[in-house]
Amino acid sequence: MESKNIVFVINEYNNHGGAQRVASILTDQFRADGHNVAILSINEQKNVPSYFDSETPVKVLHRDNYRPPKDIELSSNLKQMKFMKVSKELKRRRRLVQQRKEVKEFFEAYGDEEVFVIVIQVYGMQWLLPILYKPNIKIIGQSHESVKAAQSSRRYKRILSQYRQVSKFLLLTHNDAEHFEQQGFMNTGVMYNPSPFRQLPNSVDLYRKKKIISSGRLIPDKGFDVLIEAFAKAAADVPDWTLHIYGDGPAQDDLENLIRIFELEDRVFLEGQTENMEAALKDSSFFVLSSKAEGLPMSLIEAQSCGLPCISTDCAPGIREIVEEYQNGLIAPVGDVHLLARHIKKLAKDQDLFMAYSENAYESSMKFNKHVITQEWYELFEELGGRSIEQ
Amino acid sequence: MSSDKNLTKRPKLSVVVIAFNNELYIEETLESLYEQTFKDMEVVVVNDFSSDRTGELIDQYVSDKPNFKAIHLPENSGGCSTPRNTGIANTTGQYVMFVDGDDWYTVTACEKMVEAIERTQSDFVAGQVIRTNNYEIWYHKQLYSRERTNLNIREITGMLFDSLSVNKIYQRSFLDKHQLRFPEGIHYEDIVFTGKAYFLAESFSIIPEPVYYWRVVENADAKSITNRRYEFENFENRIIAHRYFDQFLKENSGALYQKEKNNKFLRHDLKLYTNDYLLFDEEYKTKFHVLIHEYLHEVMDEYSFINLAERDRILYYLLYLGDREAFDDYIAYINGLPTAANRVYNTGSQYYFRPSKAGKNHEKFMKMARPEIGFTISDIHLDADRFSFKADVEVNSIDNANVTYFWSLRNRQTGAVLVSEKAENQTIEFHAGNMTEGNYYLSLNVNHMGNLHKLLVKMSNITDLQNIQVQQGKLTKSIAVNQKNSFSIRVQPTTFSKQVKWKLQQRKLAQAGQKKQKTSNSSFENFIKRWIPKLPVQQNWVLFESHMGKQYSDSPKYIYEELLEGNNKFKYIWSFQNPDTVEMPGSAIKVKRNSLKHFYYLNRAKYWIDNQGMANLAEKKEKQVYIQTWHGTPLKRMGYDQKTLPSTRELENLKKQTDAWDYLISPNPYTSKILKRGFRYAGEVLETGYPRNDILIQQPIAIKQKAQMELGIPSDKRVILFAPTFRDWDPNSFQKVLDEVQLLSKEIDEGSVILLRLHYLLSDKISQFELPANIVNASNYQDIQELYLLADLLITDYSSVMFDYALLKRPIILYCYDLEEYTTRRGMYFNFTEKAPGPVCKTIDEVMYFLNTPDKLNEYNESLGRFVEEFGSLADGRASSKVIQKILNKK
Repeated sequence: MESKNIVFVINEYNNHGGAQRVASILTDQFRADGHNVAILSINEQKNVPSYFDSETPVKVLHRDNYRPPKDIELSSNLKQMKFMKVSKELKRRRRLVQQRKEVKEFFEAYGDEEVFVIVIQVYGMQWLLPILYKPNIKIIGQSHESVKAAQSSRRYKRILSQYRQVSKFLLLTHNDAEHFEQQGFMNTGVMYNPSPFRQLPNSVDLYRKKKIISSGRLIPDKGFDVLIEAFAKAAADVPDWTLHIYGDGPAQDDLENLIRIFELEDRVFLEGQTENMEAALKDSSFFVLSSKAEGLPMSLIEAQSCGLPCISTDCAPGIREIVEEYQNGLIAPVGDVHLLARHIKKLAKDQDLFMAYSENAYESSMKFNKHVITQEWYELFEELGGRSIEQ
Repeated sequence: MSSDKNLTKRPKLSVVVIAFNNELYIEETLESLYEQTFKDMEVVVVNDFSSDRTGELIDQYVSDKPNFKAIHLPENSGGCSTPRNTGIANTTGQYVMFVDGDDWYTVTACEKMVEAIERTQSDFVAGQVIRTNNYEIWYHKQLYSRERTNLNIREITGMLFDSLSVNKIYQRSFLDKHQLRFPEGIHYEDIVFTGKAYFLAESFSIIPEPVYYWRVVENADAKSITNRRYEFENFENRIIAHRYFDQFLKENSGALYQKEKNNKFLRHDLKLYTNDYLLFDEEYKTKFHVLIHEYLHEVMDEYSFINLAERDRILYYLLYLGDREAFDDYIAYINGLPTAANRVYNTGSQYYFRPSKAGKNHEKFMKMARPEIGFTISDIHLDADRFSFKADVEVNSIDNANVTYFWSLRNRQTGAVLVSEKAENQTIEFHAGNMTEGNYYLSLNVNHMGNLHKLLVKMSNITDLQNIQVQQGKLTKSIAVNQKNSFSIRVQPTTFSKQVKWKLQQRKLAQAGQKKQKTSNSSFENFIKRWIPKLPVQQNWVLFESHMGKQYSDSPKYIYEELLEGNNKFKYIWSFQNPDTVEMPGSAIKVKRNSLKHFYYLNRAKYWIDNQGMANLAEKKEKQVYIQTWHGTPLKRMGYDQKTLPSTRELENLKKQTDAWDYLISPNPYTSKILKRGFRYAGEVLETGYPRNDILIQQPIAIKQKAQMELGIPSDKRVILFAPTFRDWDPNSFQKVLDEVQLLSKEIDEGSVILLRLHYLLSDKISQFELPANIVNASNYQDIQELYLLADLLITDYSSVMFDYALLKRPIILYCYDLEEYTTRRGMYFNFTEKAPGPVCKTIDEVMYFLNTPDKLNEYNESLGRFVEEFGSLADGRASSKVIQKILNKK
């Protein structure tokens, strides 16, 4: 295969979200296959390491970490003499024009060569609109969340106005893709997230660990309070089991308090951020996701790839693409502490059930194998590259 | 022993669980009961002879729980009724609830329900159901959004839409009193049980609390081919259940509410099956039609459908008729498939779907808002001066001979419209060379028998849309798709500074539009309006208006132009609805009608000259002089003479107008008499003839040439002016005109053209149509008087046009196909057929005959002469100057 130019457009390349993880896994794969990968990041976090290989070139658009405010109408604010607001808006507009030009120049460096631009979050599209009309550039837009999650923010409107004309708009599930097809999108497709690792499990060993694991940013949206409460309800029935939550974030203090309230300091552990999720997973029995909103969560995919059965809230159509209820895991409505607790008890107490789910989980996770997914990306590139361009 | 306990103490609540092959879920169901916050309850689990591990799991679960009891049926009952009834028979609680073996309760369900039923003392209480496919609450908005206590079904019949039995708690005494149990041996037992419960209960209540999780397993195979045979039984079972319910209503004086029950059946139950109709096989369809036809006729008539959504109304009506062919066609039609027969037809702008057999009442039920039009676009090409694409338009089930279409591009910012050129091989072309800034949205315009259907092109109509961008001079054109998926060509200045400038311009325009509305009620304006009338009247100011400011025309125009000719020191003001679009000679000030400026001049001008009415806009003062020229010799009855007298308010308005007139100009004694009588006008009448008709006597060649130029008519052509009146009572009249014009176009000789002049309400409509080359649309031409000079022959009907045109002594054909109707509706002042200035034709064929045999037409010269003598004897070409002499220049 000839070497391809691939550019990822990311809000903050060194943020530690699922989307960045996906992009970094794909970057490693693409680079290993000899392709030319670059990152175009809108902002960056100061002095924070990223998931990406240090050799991958990164261009940051707002070096000064400028964050454009919400766009506003000028004249009405002028009349009300809100000069601060007006000057901010003028700055936003000036910067938008400036940075669009910068983006244009960035892509002009590729000459007439074909470039595949993967926009992992729709936010970045506003700087890419001028290059929509470059025939050598194929924009692939992604949305790493469910329709419902997008609708709770301005992202949904951005998708409706900025993803219609991109070469491909990739969703995480068929359910989400169908939604946008009904909105008249003609360019939808589905692409799963790749799992960075796979580990054939020894299900008996896993079960013996008696550890429940969960991971994610410690923010209210992840529902760790529900998880801790559910575990508290189940704790007496599963005396040897412990709960380990990986990740950090603003809700840490609240969660620590909650653990104290339930007197579970020796049963529930906030483990902080880990560099090595694989190791943590291998040292656990099953995974619980208690989120209120998700896309196609990497955490579940990774857990399954290590043969961990999963219990998850039914918070996105993506959940049911990963967890097959009563085959390799269990599902509960969002926020239903009681059912979540019953599921935890069930899986912890029934070894036969656990073993069956564990084996099924590993098998089912094959569809997220990074080699499989990378191949699907190459097929997509072929498909888009093969399209005739009218100038 | 636990049974002893049960005997000694009766629990408050009994929950009946039924299970059949629920091994995956049954434990969850039981756990959700075991964990209830409410404890004073017993649970009876009835296993309907499951073939999987369900029975075993139940026994295991209840073994150590004294208030749980398992019952195993010795054989499978094939439904839910027997297990539930068995359950009821084995319970002792004061209240009863039901749950299915794959669903579960929220942890507080029993507590909330018991609390509610004790508080309200209702016969039963219903709680919210959550379906697990979307976690939305079943009938949330309609029924379950708030607490409703002590209802009777007869006051909230919408509740019939919730026919579940499991989300409710029942008084055991209520069930026993009415021996209310589940009907055994049938499916859809809930329809019967819950339906009966509603009508038997004196009162029930609703609590807005989530109680029941309904597990919905989305199964892709559910609609597979192998399931279809089973599905017909399913439909049959549903009808059986409904028949039980119907029977119950009949026997329990519920017949009054059959209508509401039918409504639910149509909107919910039957809809499920018509939605899936395309998936059914032939055998299913045959049986389906027989059964549903039978059932519908048992319990309802066709008027049950009349308020349903269009598609349901048509589908059900066809089922009711038993018209399988038309039903199949309609299903095909709404799915964009070809139909076996052409079934869509229209009367005027109203569309209908045609059943197979004719019938008097069909149309009430077969009405359609619009025909379905499908189209696809491909091969879009855009360059500096050309925009083209291939298109495939599909108008199903309509005689395509009557369908024409064209494409249009409309600039939403400027309102400019480009229309497609006809081109070969389905390729549509636009000249894109002179596009200006803005977003041009593409529409398909389908003309079917005078009904224009406009469809905005969406991206989904286009296959393989490429992002194209081209430069043309200082403009950049690009293909753009907006948030709502509409396709457009975006034309922008290429440079950034120009873009900003253009945007500012647009904003100014938009704000200008807004401002006018805003200021109309501003306090400043109100203040000014109080003071303006106090200003002195200016002796040499003359204010003109014609047809409420719609035109620069008619007698005011000719008086004005006559004044311009003379050596006068007047200052002239004209009011228009769109002053910017009017071109006129002289230095008159143009003001927008009803603006502050207009108000100012109304108050200060000494003279008002108008042909319709403007006295409502400002109080006319004693010192001011109002010259009412009026706008035609009356033919139809007007004012107080009308067949049905106008409302008091309209008559008051009329009085306000006529009281203000100082002079009324009249073309003949006949008009003077009629207007005085019709308008109850007692002021002075000037019988000078109409100033507007001066040019018909003088016939200046320059004006004729100007009109020829403007309309693009060669001077050697015979010009036929076709000016039919507007028949507001007949929605078909526009279509008729259009058809007849087309017909005339084919029949007239090569040396002739038809000049079409329609009522201003229709002029917008006609301009959207492509007309044959020998038809010239002059509906928007400002002054009809100038068209007369051009015309060698006039075809009209009841219009005052004939009185003016007759002065030219050129032939007139009166095409009055609806003379009787018109006379009945409007009434006339004289016997039309007797006095007409030309032949009165009833059909277009007659009109054609006279057009093509001028000799025959000449035979009417005598009537024409008589007509002119009676109505036009005053016209001498000097009316304008006479008016000026008598009023403005008197002394």
